[in-house]
Amino acid sequence: MKCEWLRENLVLYAYNELADDARFETEQHLARCPECATELRSLGVFHAVFEQLPVQEPTPNLLAASRMRLQESLETAEQGGLWQRLTFDPFVWFRQISFAPALTAVIFIVGFAGGVGMTYRFLRADHFTGTTAAITSPSGMDESSVAGIRSISQQPGSNNVTIQYDSLSPKEAQGSLNDQRIQQLLLFAARNNYNSGVRMDSVSLLTQQPANDHVRETLVYALRYDSNPGVRLKALDGLSNYVKDDVRVRDAVLEALMDDSNQGVRIDALKLLNSVEADSSVRIVLQKLAQSDKNVYIRSQAKAMVAQMPEMN
Amino acid sequence: MPAGTIAVPFKIGGFANRRHGQQSDSKTRILETPNPPVLGDMAGQSVSRMEDATLVREAQRGNRAAFESLVRNYDQAVLRLALHLTGSEHEAQDVYQEAFLKAYKSIGNFRFECSFYTWIYRIVTNLCLDHLRKRQVRKEDAPVATDEHGEQYDLLDQVPDGRSGANPERELMRREMGTRIGAALEKLTPRERMVFELKHYQGLKLRTVGEVLNTTEETAKNTLFRATQKLRGALADIR
Repeated sequence: MKCEWLRENLVLYAYNELADDARFETEQHLARCPECATELRSLGVFHAVFEQLPVQEPTPNLLAASRMRLQESLETAEQGGLWQRLTFDPFVWFRQISFAPALTAVIFIVGFAGGVGMTYRFLRADHFTGTTAAITSPSGMDESSVAGIRSISQQPGSNNVTIQYDSLSPKEAQGSLNDQRIQQLLLFAARNNYNSGVRMDSVSLLTQQPANDHVRETLVYALRYDSNPGVRLKALDGLSNYVKDDVRVRDAVLEALMDDSNQGVRIDALKLLNSVEADSSVRIVLQKLAQSDKNVYIRSQAKAMVAQMPEMN
Repeated sequence: MPAGTIAVPFKIGGFANRRHGQQSDSKTRILETPNPPVLGDMAGQSVSRMEDATLVREAQRGNRAAFESLVRNYDQAVLRLALHLTGSEHEAQDVYQEAFLKAYKSIGNFRFECSFYTWIYRIVTNLCLDHLRKRQVRKEDAPVATDEHGEQYDLLDQVPDGRSGANPERELMRREMGTRIGAALEKLTPRERMVFELKHYQGLKLRTVGEVLNTTEETAKNTLFRATQKLRGALADIR
């Protein structure tokens, strides 16, 4: 380890932000390099200077006054309702359009009444039916124009997917699973479609690419919020390899284990946690389930897992 | 302690009401033996994350009591951060008020892509950054602040001091040092100030700092390094 590297990272060492191996090497280096040890002492002095003037806690009076003022404001404040969002927050307004097909349809109908001819010609020009040209311009697809996904099918023996979806008129898109537009449609379908069969198909396909952050987020969303247990099971399956490394995935699986209304989903979630049973949050949940879960199988499995846990200090 | 190691005890952070992403509550630490993550802390973080998620869902359904519970969980930390950064009780109250009202109005849009803790800190830090940027333009004097009645007072008068009680000379030195530190902090850019504040005073992990400031952990590390170098340069003659 070079002194130059160490000096750049000494601040991180002081704040306990170095990885274990780097910290170990740093300590080894400090023990044999007097110059770097002096630098560390100097950093210690710098911190000691700051410690003489610690940050002040807000006084109880200030905190109480702030709380009271906030409560008064909350009395009259309203959570962002639909009209407020439409009126005051353009960003949320656009999101509403993107993620609420029904609203998209209403806006379309109003617009349609105002300019049938122009709208129709515009849509015809924008219409695509799965041609190569359409596929090669993924940025041309406007998510807000997608009203719903009709069906998804994968061609046997290839990773090509056919998606039929409604825009302002029904459309069809074809392309590889790696195609950005296809991925956008799958992500949209997984979160927004009213047809659970379509959601199931899209989640199934998305599970082939869980390494993609957007895909993983969508799978977590499906696991948490999808109303269909089959879709939740599929999402759980797709997330299985990330329970160990991704804390968001682990939290979602723990939530499913604790709160999911479907016992099958809960049992699958429990099985996934086998690989991370040493994690403290998993331990707590397992201990809780082992004591008081209503499901006999989950209770007994949780007990068995708790009994097999390695001791932690 | 094994022979050959260098014992430099000093405190880091230790002021925050620690919840997610924050370091352990140890007030004094020996550099050579940094504390490993405490099991109870990690478990507590996960459990509170889940508690927050439940409260957020309730608040999204319009349950105001649930939102107020979330406020109680974080408002002291929010007020402390705002107070330390603005240096004014009045402005800190404004930041507090604006942050939680904003959170209340837009909680329906919270999609659980990050923890509530990160989300509320993001709102507060954005408001404070706006404040710091405005203040940089105005070039106000740092240590002088205004109370809720609009009267000016010296921030250093508010700092409790258990050591200097009967020693006026030491008290004077401490106040001078406070002025120097305040001036040194004022020389940082708003972003450097914020990273240093969140890391040093609030005790957040750099990964969390990155999330709060919508940037990467690496950028937060570099910013912290730059801020520390600037501060060390400005305070080099203080011992």
